[in-house]
Amino acid sequence: MPAIVRIVDLVKNYYLGGQTVHVLQGLNLSFDEGDFVALMGPSGSGKSTLLNVLGCLDRLTSGQYFLGDVDVSAMSDDQLSEVRSTYLGFIFQSYNLLPQYTVVENIELPLLYQGIKLDDATKARCVELAELVGLGDRLDHRPLQLSGGQQQRVAIARSLVNDPHLILGDEPTGNLDTKTSIEIMQMLRELNRSGKTIIMVTHENDIAEWARRVVRLRDGQVESDVRNDTRTIAEMGR
Amino acid sequence: MSAAPLGVSPYLLGGLGAVAVVAVLGWLFLSGRIGKGGTSAKLRRSVSLAVKSLWLHKLRSFLSVLGIIIGTCSVIALMSFGEGSMQDALEDIKRQGATNIIVRSVKPPDDSATASRGFVTTYGLTRDDIGQFEVFGNSVSRVVPMRVFPTEVRYLERILSNGRVIATTPDYQQVNKLELSRGRFLVESDDTELDNYCVLGAEAADKLFPYEDPLGQSIGMRGHFFRVIGVIRDRMPTGGTGGSQAAENFNRDIYIPISTSRRRFGEVIFTRSSGSRSAEKVDVSQVTLTVDAQVDTPEGRATVKAVGDEVKAILEKRHQRRDYDITVPLDKLEEAERAQARFTALMAMIASISLVVGGIGIMNIMLATVTERTREIGIRRALGAKRKDITLQFLVEAVVQTTIGGLCGAVIGVTAVYAIPGAWDLLRGWEWVSGPALPAKLHVTSIFLSVCVSVLVGVCFGLYPAWRAAKLDPIEALRHV
Repeated sequence: MPAIVRIVDLVKNYYLGGQTVHVLQGLNLSFDEGDFVALMGPSGSGKSTLLNVLGCLDRLTSGQYFLGDVDVSAMSDDQLSEVRSTYLGFIFQSYNLLPQYTVVENIELPLLYQGIKLDDATKARCVELAELVGLGDRLDHRPLQLSGGQQQRVAIARSLVNDPHLILGDEPTGNLDTKTSIEIMQMLRELNRSGKTIIMVTHENDIAEWARRVVRLRDGQVESDVRNDTRTIAEMGR
Repeated sequence: MSAAPLGVSPYLLGGLGAVAVVAVLGWLFLSGRIGKGGTSAKLRRSVSLAVKSLWLHKLRSFLSVLGIIIGTCSVIALMSFGEGSMQDALEDIKRQGATNIIVRSVKPPDDSATASRGFVTTYGLTRDDIGQFEVFGNSVSRVVPMRVFPTEVRYLERILSNGRVIATTPDYQQVNKLELSRGRFLVESDDTELDNYCVLGAEAADKLFPYEDPLGQSIGMRGHFFRVIGVIRDRMPTGGTGGSQAAENFNRDIYIPISTSRRRFGEVIFTRSSGSRSAEKVDVSQVTLTVDAQVDTPEGRATVKAVGDEVKAILEKRHQRRDYDITVPLDKLEEAERAQARFTALMAMIASISLVVGGIGIMNIMLATVTERTREIGIRRALGAKRKDITLQFLVEAVVQTTIGGLCGAVIGVTAVYAIPGAWDLLRGWEWVSGPALPAKLHVTSIFLSVCVSVLVGVCFGLYPAWRAAKLDPIEALRHV
């Protein structure tokens, strides 16, 4: 399997009040196409920062980040926006839907910035995706009229609309109860099985269990990197 | 009198036409019938997005554009009322005839020399003076002399005590643009045959003949009888515009042929006022020269002024005393026009101030909106929006607000221009409300100007908030609660 994401000597420092915080200290990681990765670690371990870097939302201090074959670490702000718009899908902990838009309009949102013409065909695609996540009967609802689980499903549909190479999840089940979390994870697993590469951040072991590969970070460095099919979460030690 | 704002002028038609064209173009553009390119599609999307966001906070959007609405509307209303009253003043001057030169006989202030010599005071213009005006030839189309003196007018037992005789020639009618409601004005033969004919002013006719037809009746003035041959339609008094020209009421005037007046009343006119008697020998009280020129052209104006200067030169040569006064209405017209230009500039200043204040209101709300929608900005950025997409979004939102505000203000302003004079006239119908009429003339340029400035204000005051929004760090913005 070719690597879809490859990071080399990734260093990320923050400057907070005159002090330098070394968040990521020379990470080397590569993720294969079609993989389902869980990033874990205690708070302050740098997992969210890593996800932001992977999502082209944050700049690296040094090192290289290859998305496919392209080094995105040197790209301009506009180019990064284009990369996000074309190759990436985002799922957030707090769903991050726009309250003034309907379900369909929210799903359509990433296409707005692709410079393509929005017509009946794109609309049909959005409806199709809404049906895929089981919201075919709520197309004209607004986010506030939906439950948390339903909102997250809209977010998943939205992350799929641009047919991304990589889906990034920032604790996608963090705000949901156990039953809904399982529904969402089932959905993500379905997506992964259909070929989507997913990288998500979580701090819950039973959520990470759904992933094929678990990367644990601590103090900006890789603590462990385990494939789930060979070891269980319990064995990874707490 | 209000300068009839309801008259449909070609300017108004043109203005409404242009507004309609803009509206249709805008509609075609927004509905996607024109502008197929990617840029216009993007702009179209931004506009619909902006409208959607604004609709989400209807009250807030309304309050934030209120400044622009009031600004635009007051600009249009102020300009229109200003224009209306200016127009009124200009009309007033034009009514005196802008190509006329008026020379009046004036009693010299310190006349002890003549007073001591005799009972009769002699001063003013003479027939010889008027003869001198022949030198103008064709450039002066009419020379109308007048003798004016007060009189008591009687018909049967009815008395009009404050009447005024104006002895003049038939040309007077054209020069002063008199309209007759009945009968005819004086003609040449009345003068040559020394007929005792007279034409009554509207009020004089009303006072003397409240019930019967005045035509053919004879009225008595200073011991002579005159047959009424015509009645003048109600005539606007001239506004007192200062200087030598006081306000005049023409409706109590009685017009008789000038030669008849010399024959019947003699050269010396005796008047009694509040117990004192005076006798004056004034050959001609006033002469009005009408210059054959167009006031609308600079050449015409130059001709009028040249004739005015020449008249002055002739009279200065022939009179040792200042017993005459020359009025050139054109001078006043030009003065009024200059005043109007200054006034317009002042209004434009007020316009810019009120619209800038409105713009600050917009900017304030936009900044608050950007803060409030930080998270939305973060979401959009994460989903692929570039900085310029965010800038465009907020800029368009500001411009849409001010444009809608400007258009609403224009509609309200135009409505006000049409409604307020009528409402004011209605109010003035009640006894306890008084005040002059409120003339209004729709100032079409101000509509365009204020709407355009509104749009511009949106761009100027939307730029900074939009820039602030675009500058936000996506991660920070996403973390924003």
